[in-house]
Amino acid sequence: MRELALNVMDVAQNSITAGASLVRLTVQEDSAADRLSITLEDNGCGMTQEQVKSVIDPFYTTRTTRKVGLGVPLFKMEAEMTGGSFSIRSQKGEGTVLTAQFVPSHVDMIPLGDISGTVRLLITCNPQLDFVYRRIRDGREFVLDTRELRQVLGEVPLSAPEVSEWIAGFLEEQTAELLREETS
Amino acid sequence: MTVRELAEQLGAEVLVEGDLSREVKTGYAGDLLSWVMARLPESAVWMTVMGNLNAVAVCSLKDGACILLTEDAPLDENAKQRAEVEEIPVLRVTEGSYRTSLRVAALLGEMP
Repeated sequence: MRELALNVMDVAQNSITAGASLVRLTVQEDSAADRLSITLEDNGCGMTQEQVKSVIDPFYTTRTTRKVGLGVPLFKMEAEMTGGSFSIRSQKGEGTVLTAQFVPSHVDMIPLGDISGTVRLLITCNPQLDFVYRRIRDGREFVLDTRELRQVLGEVPLSAPEVSEWIAGFLEEQTAELLREETS
Repeated sequence: MTVRELAEQLGAEVLVEGDLSREVKTGYAGDLLSWVMARLPESAVWMTVMGNLNAVAVCSLKDGACILLTEDAPLDENAKQRAEVEEIPVLRVTEGSYRTSLRVAALLGEMP
């Protein structure tokens, strides 16, 4: 994909299809170590070891279960092309944890892209689910937790336009603050 | 033109035979798999340097005629095995995708 954010969107659909009620997305950057990791964790139906192997194999997936597609194989490839790594841990009935590690300085690194847009869209289009988005950079972080939003919102759904606007503003502000270079 | 004829005309190495009688209708060049996945025309010869399993999956998904690896790009062993199973021919040339595209376009009568 041209942006990792598009890939996150694609792979997150698997969690939704797996019947997850809570999806955690963590984007962690470590400048000194030259690492960026993206972790998606869900409490969906999980997979057997056999199924875990199959989602990494583009054929098994494109041929038998169209739902999964090339999303996971491409995500894995993109991580490995930068000298990074990829892993999936899953337990039937418990959920799945998928982690992709990237080396941002590598020439084949694909830009993270509009990850805030992805998060906003995931929340707005799936108001019945809960998302916890955590963005960490060099020890500092911010979190957006829809379970906390719900408490404030009461009856107002997460899909309401004004909520979506607020999420966009919050993510933009927090991301800018996090990415702001320390002035010495 | 069939894949077999194309391979002969280009003097390409045939890494996986697959269905060499397959008709080649057009060509496409690209290496970003997700991009190609949305655009590879059916029955196209696909020029790329990506010789991995995902590339074989993209060709299969889009029903391309064959994969034509350029600049002597390597073909992974698992990709080779899968291409054999899927009967997708994989060819290889030394020249880059730009020059190879020109030759393919001339052979297919598609010069702009």
